[in-house]
Amino acid sequence: MRISNILLMVIFPVTAFAEWETNMPRGVTPTSEVAYDLHMLIFYITVVIGILVFGAMLYSIIYHRKSLGHEPAKFHESTKVEIIWTVIPFIILVGMAVPATKALIMMEDTRDSEITLKVTGYQWMWQYEYLEDNVTFFSKIDTESNTARRLNSGVDVKNVNNYLRNVDNAVVLPINTKVRILLTANDVIHAWWVPELGGKKDAIPGYVNEIWVDIQEPGTYRGQCAELCGKDHGFMPIVVHAVSKPEYYKWVGIQKTNKFAKNK
Amino acid sequence: MSSFKKTYLSLTLFTLFMFSFSYMLVPLYDIFCEITGLNGKTNQTKVLTVRENPTERFVTVKFTSTVANSAPFTFEPIDREIIVQVGKINNTFYTLTNNTETVKHATASPSVVPHEDAEYFKKIECFCFSQQQINGLETKELPLQFIIDNELPNDTRTLILSYTMFNTTDQMGSK
Amino acid sequence: MSTNIDKLHDDHHHTPTGIMRWITTTNHKDIGSMYLWFSLIMFFVGGLMALVIRAELFQPGLQLVVPGFFNQMTTMHALVMIFGAVMPAFVGLANWQLPIMIGAPDMALPRLNNWSFWILPFAFTMMLSTLFMDSGGPAAGWTLYPPLSLQGGDSFPYTILAIHMLGLSSILGAINVIATILNMRAPGMTLMKMPIFVWTWLITAFLLIASMPVLAGAVTMLLTDKFFGTMFFTASGGGDPVMFQHIFWFFGHPEVYILILPAFGIVSTIIPAFSRKRLFGYDSMVYATASIALLSFIVWAHHMFTVGMPLAGEIFFMFTTMLIAIPTGVKVFNWVATMWRGSMTFETPMLFAIAFIVLFTIGGFSGLMLAMVPADFQYHDTYFVVAHFHYVLVPGAVFAIMAAVYYWLPKWTGKMYNEGLGKLHFWLTTIFVNLTFFPMHFVGLAGMPRRIPDYAVQFADFNAIASVGAFGFGLSQLVFVYILFNTLKKDVTAEDKVWDGAEGLEWTLSSPPPYHSFEEAPKVD
Repeated sequence: MRISNILLMVIFPVTAFAEWETNMPRGVTPTSEVAYDLHMLIFYITVVIGILVFGAMLYSIIYHRKSLGHEPAKFHESTKVEIIWTVIPFIILVGMAVPATKALIMMEDTRDSEITLKVTGYQWMWQYEYLEDNVTFFSKIDTESNTARRLNSGVDVKNVNNYLRNVDNAVVLPINTKVRILLTANDVIHAWWVPELGGKKDAIPGYVNEIWVDIQEPGTYRGQCAELCGKDHGFMPIVVHAVSKPEYYKWVGIQKTNKFAKNK
Repeated sequence: MSSFKKTYLSLTLFTLFMFSFSYMLVPLYDIFCEITGLNGKTNQTKVLTVRENPTERFVTVKFTSTVANSAPFTFEPIDREIIVQVGKINNTFYTLTNNTETVKHATASPSVVPHEDAEYFKKIECFCFSQQQINGLETKELPLQFIIDNELPNDTRTLILSYTMFNTTDQMGSK
Repeated sequence: MSTNIDKLHDDHHHTPTGIMRWITTTNHKDIGSMYLWFSLIMFFVGGLMALVIRAELFQPGLQLVVPGFFNQMTTMHALVMIFGAVMPAFVGLANWQLPIMIGAPDMALPRLNNWSFWILPFAFTMMLSTLFMDSGGPAAGWTLYPPLSLQGGDSFPYTILAIHMLGLSSILGAINVIATILNMRAPGMTLMKMPIFVWTWLITAFLLIASMPVLAGAVTMLLTDKFFGTMFFTASGGGDPVMFQHIFWFFGHPEVYILILPAFGIVSTIIPAFSRKRLFGYDSMVYATASIALLSFIVWAHHMFTVGMPLAGEIFFMFTTMLIAIPTGVKVFNWVATMWRGSMTFETPMLFAIAFIVLFTIGGFSGLMLAMVPADFQYHDTYFVVAHFHYVLVPGAVFAIMAAVYYWLPKWTGKMYNEGLGKLHFWLTTIFVNLTFFPMHFVGLAGMPRRIPDYAVQFADFNAIASVGAFGFGLSQLVFVYILFNTLKKDVTAEDKVWDGAEGLEWTLSSPPPYHSFEEAPKVD
């Protein structure tokens, strides 16, 4: 009992702010929803297969044992059975492939986007450029997190606001607008990923990739770099504020004014 | 030859073949990219013969630029977005400024999205992969002449061309 | 037959003792033992690195290491476990078992066999020494993606050289295995009468010869890009970082089947033995293994679904990856059918084999989920992937290796291990392996990326559990080491046929078998 008490005391301070989240978020875009639905479908299918297979094994382990006096049967092959348990899984796979292919085609269709956001990955921060409005800025991990994360910083990270998931300048996007996101990089391969917005593509130096989002709900969505890019790969988060269209254009206006002010 | 020796010989040859196969993947990859337009690699060979065949169709072409490895350059497209008639030749340019006082070499690499439409973005005159020499504090204009092929799929209404400019001053020659 | 046997007779009377015996031995049993001991040591070295990782990840915030060193640990942990622990263990099992299973006196090329082994300690000494360099060891992940890997410090050329040496050792070993199996079977042992473990190693050896040279090519290209001005992977020179990924994974995917096919062979041997029933569908099992091997060459890009492939490519690789679930499923069904209506007992080898089937299948389920590209966009580069491959590698490959050791150790040594302690080792290992890796599914789905030394507070609970599990797992392996040494101290008491359900030529030999066995080919009906 002593050891478990100690363990609980060590773990408990952290658990105060932690969550026991076990699943992917359904998210707020058509792409995130389609990914979630596909994920759950395949998951349920594997659960059913697991119950059947492990159930058979468990039954066998209980009843077909030498200690119960069970004599071994002699059968060791059956072409009929091999065909059945090849064809049935094949049919199940075809059943999975149809919704998966439909979903993939929809996710890769970036046509007719209203706004283009170009994302450039740097070691170790992001640069954002709104192509139509010519607004550009860098986005780094915020100072509070960046100080707290140092080795032996002495700061208790559970007191830091959105530890490791906060930035100095966040991305702002309008809801109900198809946004095309271009991805490239300055130095090494990075990847831009906000789970609740769905989709993930690598940001590769010298090349441009693209994904699209159409955010349905206003809110703040947080993500991280998802491709090892050097020592601070874990410390270049992403924050997206999704706001109404009028608020978005107001924000764009402010960015442009600031730019003029800076260039004077 | 004993069956052992036959085994050793064929397996050794197979090993050597697979090693050379990894190098064969390099040109195979390029050929595959040209056929499919993967990674937005536009035809690296410039189009030599061009026939203008203007259509009634117009698409939007956006231009963007990236400076790689935080090189000391300023590199921008002069046009951020133009409406282009499919089948007609168009001209634009990028400007490249060397922000240092010493001579530098720079090479640009293009990329087009959507990737599957890259093959329809035909460049007649461009600065892709050709090393530019640029003196200290000099600004150069890098011209681009292109035509959108009539075969462009009907449902594509926007193309985006991106150039990444690399500082290749220390590299032993590029194409 | 060749003149190797005559040579063996001559040397027989001059076999050195002491350290020279081990340095110069050409005996497959000696070499098998050396591979297995080497693998055990490397398993603990790699395990120690895992514990550094899990200790840092026990709580959010950085407590123990700087991020750069953490990346060295994740990189080296993988390189050591894959190339230093799992692969040499399977080669060790091949060395011990293949000749005595097919009735051959030794491997086809005994001296090459010796060299294949001795390359390994040298290669790993060099690779591990890079951790002590000023700029540290490799830190770009075992996958070495450029441009990041090209930013590597002084360790870079040594890592590449070490990988070349490891590849050479594997390729030479594979040539030896194929030559042995194709040319030295006892008369009457046709291919379809071979023990299933021999089949899986034959197919694995072909995979090795086809894939390891491609890895050699890929890392050579990295080397020349860094030092000799080539531009394979730099866009400015017309190259492409993604091309490295294609070449690497063309090797990388067959590699993971190299890591599992011998395990399938082991499980296909142990389940029938302890069910006292022949393997169900032997022919199907052979064809399924061959299908998996062939399919493994056309699925590689499922490791790269987020690079920006054309839609047609994504669809193709999604379909082929899903397809590979079928022969794998067939194997699982055949194992269950072998158990079904058998007469089972549950000694330690059987416990590990049954746990393999259940837990490997769970890893297979997460693999099927990963194959679905739209969902994979959410899983890629998260802990969901880490959970998947650790399930197929640890309660997969490693459990099979442990099962094999418990199964054949009495044959190799003539000494019975303590069954009670074996079961203890099994239960501790199984409980802790699940405690370590199951929560990783959750944090991955909840949004935690891979290869990060620190994480947001919402991931803390499951990371704490995983870390406790990891330390428990590590400590449990000390029980295994104790069992080994305890067994070796005992007297020779084992019978020829150690297990009453065991079948195969090796069980006709004494336990331990003579230093040179089957110098006369046995009769096989």
